[in-house]
Amino acid sequence: MYTIGVDVGGTYTDLVATDQTGRTVFAKSPSTPADQSVGVMAGLEELARRLGVTRAAMLAATDRLVHGTTVATNALLERKGAKVALLTTEGHRDVVEMREGLKPDRYDLRTPPPEPLVPRERRFGVRERLKADGSAAIALDATALGKVIAEVKRSGANSVAVCFLHAYLNPAHELAAVERLAKELPEVSVSRSSDVLPQIKEYERVSTTIVNAYVEPTVRHYLTNLERSLHEAGFKGSLFVVLSHGGMAPVEEASRLAAGTVLSGPAGGISGSRRCAEMLGIPDLVPFDMGGTSTDISLIADGQASLSADGMLAGQRIALRSLDIASIAAGGGSIASVDGSRTLRVGPESAGSVPGPACYGNGGTAAAVTDANVVLGYLDAAAFMGGARPLDRAASEAAVDRIAKALELSRIEAAAGIYKMINLKMADGIRLMTLRRGVDPRKFALLSFGGAAGMHAAEVARELEIKRIIVPTVASVLSAWGMLTSDLRYEVSRTHYGTGRISADEVRALFAALEEQAAGRLRDWFKGDIAIERSAEMRYGEQVFEIDVPLGDLDLNAADLVAQIEERFHCRHEELYTYASRGQEVVFVNARVAAVGKIARGSDDAGEATSAAPCAPRGKRQAWLGAWREVPVYALDDLKPGHSLAGPAIIEAETTTVLVDDGDRVTVNPLGWLDITLR
Amino acid sequence: MPAPAKIDPITRSVVQHRLSSIVKEMGEAMLRTSYSQILNSSRDFSLAICDISGRLIAQADHIPVHVGALPWATLAVEARFKDVAPGDVILLNDPYQGGSHLPDLTAFVPVFDGGKRLLWTIVRAHQSDIGGATHGAYNPGATEIYQEGIRIPPIKLYEAGKPREDLLDLLALNIRNPREFRGDLAAMLGAAHLGERRVAKLFSEFGAETVEAAIEAILDATEQQTRAVVSSWKDGVFYGEALLDDDGHGRTDVKIAAKVTKNGSDIEVDLTGSDPQSTSFVNSSHANMQAAVAMAFAYLIDADIPKNTGALRPLKVVARQGTIVWADPGRPVTLCTSHPSNEIVEAIIKAMSASCPDRVMGGWGRRFRIAIQGEDPRNGRNFIWHMFQARPGGGASIGGDGYCSIGEWHTVGGLKFGSIEVAEVRFPLHFRQHEFRPDSGGDGQHRGGLGVALDMVLETQKPAKGNTAGDGARHGPCGMLGGRDGEPHHYRLLSEGRAPRVLKTKEVGIELRPGDCLEIRSSGGGGWGPPEKRSAEARARDVAQGLVSKAV
Repeated sequence: MYTIGVDVGGTYTDLVATDQTGRTVFAKSPSTPADQSVGVMAGLEELARRLGVTRAAMLAATDRLVHGTTVATNALLERKGAKVALLTTEGHRDVVEMREGLKPDRYDLRTPPPEPLVPRERRFGVRERLKADGSAAIALDATALGKVIAEVKRSGANSVAVCFLHAYLNPAHELAAVERLAKELPEVSVSRSSDVLPQIKEYERVSTTIVNAYVEPTVRHYLTNLERSLHEAGFKGSLFVVLSHGGMAPVEEASRLAAGTVLSGPAGGISGSRRCAEMLGIPDLVPFDMGGTSTDISLIADGQASLSADGMLAGQRIALRSLDIASIAAGGGSIASVDGSRTLRVGPESAGSVPGPACYGNGGTAAAVTDANVVLGYLDAAAFMGGARPLDRAASEAAVDRIAKALELSRIEAAAGIYKMINLKMADGIRLMTLRRGVDPRKFALLSFGGAAGMHAAEVARELEIKRIIVPTVASVLSAWGMLTSDLRYEVSRTHYGTGRISADEVRALFAALEEQAAGRLRDWFKGDIAIERSAEMRYGEQVFEIDVPLGDLDLNAADLVAQIEERFHCRHEELYTYASRGQEVVFVNARVAAVGKIARGSDDAGEATSAAPCAPRGKRQAWLGAWREVPVYALDDLKPGHSLAGPAIIEAETTTVLVDDGDRVTVNPLGWLDITLR
Repeated sequence: MPAPAKIDPITRSVVQHRLSSIVKEMGEAMLRTSYSQILNSSRDFSLAICDISGRLIAQADHIPVHVGALPWATLAVEARFKDVAPGDVILLNDPYQGGSHLPDLTAFVPVFDGGKRLLWTIVRAHQSDIGGATHGAYNPGATEIYQEGIRIPPIKLYEAGKPREDLLDLLALNIRNPREFRGDLAAMLGAAHLGERRVAKLFSEFGAETVEAAIEAILDATEQQTRAVVSSWKDGVFYGEALLDDDGHGRTDVKIAAKVTKNGSDIEVDLTGSDPQSTSFVNSSHANMQAAVAMAFAYLIDADIPKNTGALRPLKVVARQGTIVWADPGRPVTLCTSHPSNEIVEAIIKAMSASCPDRVMGGWGRRFRIAIQGEDPRNGRNFIWHMFQARPGGGASIGGDGYCSIGEWHTVGGLKFGSIEVAEVRFPLHFRQHEFRPDSGGDGQHRGGLGVALDMVLETQKPAKGNTAGDGARHGPCGMLGGRDGEPHHYRLLSEGRAPRVLKTKEVGIELRPGDCLEIRSSGGGGWGPPEKRSAEARARDVAQGLVSKAV
């Protein structure tokens, strides 16, 4: 019996299969952006070949296929989603375009505002109004609703978002509107705010609901098709989709809450990182996933990934809880330029995969980070992608020379400068990711994965005074591998209404209702044991940012329940922000419950202990480490548990290269992974 | 590492990047640790690194009107203290000794290399109260600065690492919400100390001499970049004027006049033609006037030029003490960071429309703030609700139409207004309507952004009191290059049994009765370019979207 993980990236679709013996097989196949399922099916063919069976045989013996998809992400980024109409409270139809009065880039007063996903002519006010206590100040006006629905029909919208003020507290008006829509426009998709994000704060709720309406038809169409193709190809197991919060859900649920799939891809990387933390026994890791156009940075602290609801993608606010991932526009394709003050800049523009860095020979002439790496000797132009796609060294040199000329520097100085600047950018990203949460990065190990990470990890780590780097053998397919260990997860939340201090009975009632809802839903998909995770979002009286406080093992029947919850909040506040104000009122804002169906992990047993024979380099080449040095080059395949070596060294694999500087030491751990200690 | 004679461009880039990430990190710390809503939500604070000669080395993009003010604050500190030791912390707010207006408190932490003092890390933050006659410092009735709050000249709050508890007590005693004040001050000092630690690390890594050489090179390179931009503008002497509605004490149409001389890569802004100072809080302090001019200049040059002293080197400011833009010591000045700052910007931008038409923008909204004080019948508690941001439209530019409901000239989309749902839960208020205000954006080839139509009902059981502070109920945000002005603010109080009353921008003690409705119509932004050049498609779209009520 197999379990399969499939991660669709911008360039490659990565696949991983494991069987019950723990045997793990990888495959890579080109992605097919027009219809990702084509690349998935082709990748499965390749995976089966590597397993030595037919695709049909493999699929017939697969009980679970876990999928990370960028369909929603791309629909948003490329603006190729549904034609959405918004039904909202009369007199309040501009909330989404007001953006609470904020705009990016303080000194840019000449860039016009972005186009909202739903233009004003498709934002319709409906006569109805709830008050802050959930009671109706104005009842839903059936005649007005009928007229609005007729206008929606005329507008040609194929997806509708419904969001009324205070519906987080009382969904009655929204439910009535949805029922009417279903009757009168049965072919149109509907997203309802009290379903998508039943939480106070109208901007976040309406924006998230609109994003959901925008991507839902695309996601549903894609997943339904993929599921059908898989079944036609012999698959009889369950297809699960990884969600932005790191859990996974079946196709119907992932389609319903389609806005919750926008980080489906990188979420697998975090699951993989968490599993690495477990296998290594290193609870504190900074996952550092550097690809061609962007670098994803996250945080595993105490073995856990943090969740946040601060999400923003393609300028759209998505307030669903998702894994905390900082994506910075810096990668191997980032382009170097010299500005009007003769200052070197690297990125945020990227050469992408087309035309790509100059050395790809696809017509790109700008110097990208990859070109600098070629000039510096870190990348072997001839052996790129295992020799399948050699690089044009002369083109890299010519591109870097243009930068050197503008800066009046030598070629090598310019290349070293580009290398240094991109490293600083990535270090900055990690600094914000860690220090913003009061976490000192120096206590963390850097988990280096993604194609480009290995050449930069050591310098980025040094910049942050991080002393240890881990490079797993699955580095280039870590996301797909991580998906195999994702748990099933269903999350619900509800806002507590009240002006005074919450009572213990109110807390119990809130959680009881949420638990029943969450566990009930999960039981439909999952027969195993269900664990419940509770948390509460709270703040001090006059604050505006809530803190999510896990309630873990708290006894809900305790007599001093509220005092205990408040004390946890004070402690967490102190932990994050250096102080607590115990005399001050604590406001209980949202109760959250996650029902988690735990998936049995594969065997994490390490490989054979040690290898006695010393490892020998396969060759040598010139690389710039402050001066030209002759550096031994090792093949990752040759390095076995127990081996160790000292920098300078270059370690090459088919899809990644690791640079080890003078004084750094590499040991190969029992799992066969590189464990690098910096000087 | 020995200091090289000439700094190489890579080292310069690295140091520049590092300094800017230090001020960003200081900003993150400030945002997350401050107590008051005006800081942790509206982000009314700024961070900077200055050197001991008062040059601005690096700053974080928060509130533009703070940009050019901090060097003057640094100069005031340097003038007062010759004996700064490691571990000292200096504090000030007095507008006549380096401050802009009293609510803006500024903390300085010195950074040393060995025994040599080189830089300051600086945090400026707007306090929610600073004492004085009215809550929250904005007092339209004030005729002298003493009625606006407690004045703090440059003082040593810490000496060699030890806090002066007696001074802290003195300050806290003079402020209405001492707990919040102490919390915010702790956050400010924390952020400044964090910056100090990071800069010290930079010194130890590169050597202070290298960092100093890099700073010189950064400022020179920024200057060169700015001069290249300014050189591309048309030379000449240009005039622009802007009018304040009134000073609240009986004077109307208070004029701010700018004569701008642009010659090659140099630019001189002369404000001496501005009207005499006022008896009210619409006066500007000297530092704030400098900051407002720098802000206007920053809006005209490229967005990505670092806003440091190098960028301001081509700019010379001339003004006369005793005018509205530079008041005599002792005059009230609290409104100055918004007014006349906005009008100083407007006058300069108008003047420059003849020199660099591709860069000027239509006027952004003026400020019109309301604060309501009353009792919440749901819990019997007193409440104070501020409308921080009037949600006016932004000005149009060559790039396109202006942003709707985005804020004022001096904050330009950096000041957030909160959630209506949260406001209704926390305050006895009901927001009947909160939508774009049709027809408010100034017409033009590119249309100004729309202001907001906001109807808010007071759901108290007892009468409440309101105060206003701001301007722009008579003069709308200016149109540019033939574009029309945006509609001015128009606020009315609707009260059953009384005739509707138009609210003035500078009122204290407005009587509000239960069930009263504040009908707020905030201004649209100014248009850019002649209306006859607006495309038929754009006009059809305006009508289809209901942004303009009828086809022109």
